[in-house]
Amino acid sequence: MLRRFKERFKGRVGKAKNAASRAGNPAQAEEYQQPKENRKILVVGQGDSFKETEMDYALSLAERLGYDLIALNVGPGPASAATFLSPYRKYQRDEFSRRAQTAASLFKEKVSAKGLNFTHLVKFGDLGPTIEQLNHEIKRVELVITGSEASAAKVTEEVNLPLFILKGLAEEKNLIGGREMRQTRPWGKTIAWGIGAAVLYAATFLNTGVVMKYFTKGGWYAALPIMTVFAFSFVHGAFAHYLWSALGIEAPRKVVQPRPEAKRPVRRQRPRPELRLKA
Amino acid sequence: MDAGLPEAVQFIDLNTTAVLFLFVVGFIGGLVSGFIGSGGAFVLTPGMMSLGVAGTVAVASNMCHKFPKALVGAYKRYKYGQVDIKLGLVMASSAGVGVLVGIKIQEWILANWGQAGSNLYVSVSFVVILIVVGGYVFLDAWKTTKSGGQEMVPALALKLQKIHLPPMMYFKTANVRISMWFTLPIGFATGLLAATIAVGGFIGVPGMIYVLGASGLVASATELVIAFVMGLGGTVKWAMMGMVDIRLTLIILAGSLLGVQLGAIGTTYVKEHMIKVVMGTIMLIVAVSRGLAIPQYLKQLGLINLDDGIIAILGVASFVTMCIALAIGAIIIIGAMWRAKSKAASEEVYDQV
Repeated sequence: MLRRFKERFKGRVGKAKNAASRAGNPAQAEEYQQPKENRKILVVGQGDSFKETEMDYALSLAERLGYDLIALNVGPGPASAATFLSPYRKYQRDEFSRRAQTAASLFKEKVSAKGLNFTHLVKFGDLGPTIEQLNHEIKRVELVITGSEASAAKVTEEVNLPLFILKGLAEEKNLIGGREMRQTRPWGKTIAWGIGAAVLYAATFLNTGVVMKYFTKGGWYAALPIMTVFAFSFVHGAFAHYLWSALGIEAPRKVVQPRPEAKRPVRRQRPRPELRLKA
Repeated sequence: MDAGLPEAVQFIDLNTTAVLFLFVVGFIGGLVSGFIGSGGAFVLTPGMMSLGVAGTVAVASNMCHKFPKALVGAYKRYKYGQVDIKLGLVMASSAGVGVLVGIKIQEWILANWGQAGSNLYVSVSFVVILIVVGGYVFLDAWKTTKSGGQEMVPALALKLQKIHLPPMMYFKTANVRISMWFTLPIGFATGLLAATIAVGGFIGVPGMIYVLGASGLVASATELVIAFVMGLGGTVKWAMMGMVDIRLTLIILAGSLLGVQLGAIGTTYVKEHMIKVVMGTIMLIVAVSRGLAIPQYLKQLGLINLDDGIIAILGVASFVTMCIALAIGAIIIIGAMWRAKSKAASEEVYDQV
């Protein structure tokens, strides 16, 4: 694998190797290879999973921009060398990786259907440094998308990349699965307001003689038709509203996709060049 | 039943055909006014007159159904973020003066030339305004459609916005900063027309678009606020004269409250210039319809001499043309909604694959 990688990307091998060695884990170097150096969107999952909206939003964005997608799951990092070496810890990490792979396979299917490139990575450690490290290793990561505000806070502090946080995922999930939501159509309210409107109409038209006599008297009697139309518009208007809603004719949600909130990356402290003398 | 009614006007007897007609016209009128901000009345007033309702009663009953309908429509479109309440209220305040002047003119014509004179005045107003303004709106909509549906701020509006004539006003939703003095004549003309033919929007909406520089979507939604304020004021005036036929009003309202909400929903589906397309098309066809009705009133006033057969044919032609205007308006709106909805549905399916 590594040989093929060398053959295909002769010019970049040096860089990749350096990056991998900076990461302190040369074995992972091959994970970072991309079929071509396209621009990329990094999607950071919640633990070992990806939310539906997170995947859909990243996918539609990548499709529009023609970018590749990198899905990243970051597991809890080792607290100390002892726990890192413990069999239980290893089991936990394997379990995390397995669950993350399962979650990513769905994502991969979606991305493959659109003909885009997709890479899945599993990392362990703190979120911020992990992403920043990836940013150095993988070329042309343009932006980071996450659905978790908690992880977003960590990322903004340490990562020098535009970060998109998808807010209100729970509500948006209902929106995207709009069909399920529309199953609860307000037929009950429609019927209730409809009966109310029918009663008002019956009351007026069964007493047309009296109504017309007083309503056209003019002067202060002008209040009668005005009050009447207000009452009718309230009751019948509510009926009309619920009727269209029940029939499924509603204004399309203009924000079907969750609105990403672009956050400015925190300025990274770059170490100043220091002059060192080898005396 | 007719005891106590003013002698000058007659209230018609209702039959099933008339009720069905008013309901359907009310629905389609509501659909149109929910979509373009006004209208409905331009179909309803002649529609009622075709049923034999006197011009003033038709205008009064129509106005009485207009303000609750506008209220419901404005509320719905406000929720979609299309209504500029401040612009609506500023326009409505000058429109109020226009309504009062318009009613005075109507009363004066009714007193001097009777019912036929009143009908003639209403019809001539229809024809002149609809052809001039409707023609312009239609041309603009045609150009916009040809240039790919991109709406531009009209040159006149841009010039007027640059004139600094205090007090300057800023309208947030419309995103327009303009001197108050330029809003006054448009508001006044809107009110004057509303009191005459009950459709102020045919001046108000193009005025807000071409003179003030608001977008078609905001102008048509804001017109509903103006329509509510003016409609309420006008209704008080007409009702105090005992001209409102509440039966007609309620039947129209039954249809129009359904229609206005559908029309308001429709604006969220279609491209903005569709509002102008619908408005221009309907105005021009209705102008033809009312033009065909004019000889009848001229004959009643003894100004021309025409064969009764020809008058009858013209009457039928006028009525049929108006029905065509109605049908075309409704078809354009529902067709545009249908296309947009099925397109959205197919995209949704595509996204889920």
